[in-house]
Amino acid sequence: MDELDTPVFPAPKALLMQVPCLNLRKAPANGVAAASTVPTSEPNSNVSAFDIAVPGSLPVFQPAVVLPALRAAIVLGCHIEPVSYFDRKHYFYHDQPAGYQITQYYHPFARDGLVTLTSDDGLEAGQEVEVYIKQVQLEQDTARSQEEDEHTTLIDFNRCGQALVEIISLPNLHSPRDAAAYVRKVQSLLYAVDAVTTGMEHGGLRADVNVSVRRRDGDSDRSFEYSGVSGLGRRTEIKNLSTLKGIEDAIKAERDRQIRLLESGGVVQPETRGWSLTHPHETRRLRGKEGEVDYRYLPDADIPPLSFDLDLISHVARSMPPTPAVLVRHLVQHYGLSVKDARILESLDDGERLIYFQEVVAELLSLHDYEVNEINVGKIAVNWVLFEVGSLFSTDESTWSRDKIPAKSLAEIIHQLRKNAITGASAKLILRLIFDGDSRRVSEIIRQEKLMYVGMSPETYETIAKDIMQNHPQEVKDIVEKGKIGKLKFLMGQMMRHPRRSEMSAPEAEKALRRLLLGEKS
Amino acid sequence: MHHLVRCTGLRAAGSLNASRRSAEFSTASIARSQKESILDIEKLLSRPTWSVSSLLPPKDSASDAPEVTSKQLHHLLRLSALPPPKDQQEEAKMLSTLSSQLHFVKEIQKVDTAGIEPLRSLRDETMQGEKEAELGMEAMKDALAQEEVRGKHHKRIRRRRDHTAAKQEEDWDVLGTAQRKVGRYFVVEGGKDK
Repeated sequence: MDELDTPVFPAPKALLMQVPCLNLRKAPANGVAAASTVPTSEPNSNVSAFDIAVPGSLPVFQPAVVLPALRAAIVLGCHIEPVSYFDRKHYFYHDQPAGYQITQYYHPFARDGLVTLTSDDGLEAGQEVEVYIKQVQLEQDTARSQEEDEHTTLIDFNRCGQALVEIISLPNLHSPRDAAAYVRKVQSLLYAVDAVTTGMEHGGLRADVNVSVRRRDGDSDRSFEYSGVSGLGRRTEIKNLSTLKGIEDAIKAERDRQIRLLESGGVVQPETRGWSLTHPHETRRLRGKEGEVDYRYLPDADIPPLSFDLDLISHVARSMPPTPAVLVRHLVQHYGLSVKDARILESLDDGERLIYFQEVVAELLSLHDYEVNEINVGKIAVNWVLFEVGSLFSTDESTWSRDKIPAKSLAEIIHQLRKNAITGASAKLILRLIFDGDSRRVSEIIRQEKLMYVGMSPETYETIAKDIMQNHPQEVKDIVEKGKIGKLKFLMGQMMRHPRRSEMSAPEAEKALRRLLLGEKS
Repeated sequence: MHHLVRCTGLRAAGSLNASRRSAEFSTASIARSQKESILDIEKLLSRPTWSVSSLLPPKDSASDAPEVTSKQLHHLLRLSALPPPKDQQEEAKMLSTLSSQLHFVKEIQKVDTAGIEPLRSLRDETMQGEKEAELGMEAMKDALAQEEVRGKHHKRIRRRRDHTAAKQEEDWDVLGTAQRKVGRYFVVEGGKDK
């Protein structure tokens, strides 16, 4: 049970997330091409004049950023403004040489979205939280700074000026866990539409969280209104959280700090605070928060208004890829997978594993001479695709490739297994051979390696069983005289090591042993 | 200021918005020019008919702008990264100048701008110009072409990471203007707060 349910202060939150898309404004000397969008490792190797505010330099808008930005806004359910404008937000900081950030304060390009969280997203069963998106805007990123020691900070301007999409939510989140769930969901939605290129750990997405508390009942200062939601306590902002766990821990730490402060008669100051992994239970003050008016927002005269042709907006909206939820539902309904397997499958290898799975199923259907549908073969196929094939790649520590074990080959293996033409052990063996580079067709491997399962007669099983029993008299004694049934497993193992094991089925082998040792009838 | 000068070769300049009220000046000019058929431009322009001081508080009387406190002044200076006044005298002068400026702004605010779109920048705002500025399918053609559709059963989009677009700009000495450098980094003195 979340602790928030017992004490008196729930904490409404508004989340602000920044997602880099592409370089927004890199105006090189020749004014034609954009600087590279590839993340470079050399510091200050991909910087244009405007990024370090060389006098006389001007920003240039790069239209390519519009595509991921539109997709992001649409997948979050926003309305797209046909015309939006850019503004300057003025403040001095070493990571922003121009003295202002170009953003969209008054007229962002997208508004009024909605993200709904359910138990699918990690909430309790039956719980649903609606998080409204106030707006989505385009803005510039700042430089990256690195504190060398308390007297020196190093700055890398490679990402300065790069386009970010900033997503501002309303304070609809009331627990640290919901906040983390929201960020996780937004990240997966953005990933599904290719609006984010790397995960949070690599700076692909950052979150700034505003936290306030108020008494559930009774009085506390509820006089603040943020983004049209009133009845809130004063908020503080925690900047630059880059992990989901960090978001949860930071919110908890700040909530607890505010509660302690208020309970001892203090007042929450408007502040910007920081949190770090090394001190997860506390937040620390970075600077006082300026009021919005202190940013002296004014229209940017260099970047023209962003106006969209309505055809473009509808094209993008019509060509949206399916969200993870839609894909999972499709897998469950169409292929009969469990929700758990569907979720795993959908999330692996950038969607490639899912595509592979669908190809395997399609091949299986074409191999069958009798009526089957996707549901019949779906469950079997997913086990092979997720676990058997998956473990080959993970133990080999290699990245996924659909060519290692062609879908056609896997389908053939599964088909032969279902026909009982080969045993499970043989199937795995063939899989391994192909993974390791065997280029023979599956049928050839079966023939040449003599993996055909010819059902052995019960008598043959018993002959082999007796052989094993003779070699292990102690175990036989333990089973027959002392009732140590556990030893049966050992003898089973020995049987399955027999040279003719590829012709044996484990269940039949066990039955033979039980007939001989325990007098069971089968 | 709109001076309507009826004279060969000169046309009224600027966008004459019907609702902009500078009535007194234009009617006076029209009246004058109607009387004279040949104007002495030099004579006309030699004496200013208007001065910005008309928008400033008259000397020796307080402006009707709100008081600016010393605290506010210091706050504004800090926000603008300007040095604080070095003594009481300089502060008094700054406050007085600020007060005049605020009076000026209030005079400007008296202009009726109801229904007028604020000017953001000088651009081509004709119907044609605005249409050309729209980002449509044609403008986004290249970006759309970079999207790769994966899979036959459902569409999945990934942009191709085009590494070839990398070095099209000239190399320039990014760190050339840096006073201090550490390796390939710019350096700022002071810890996080500076």
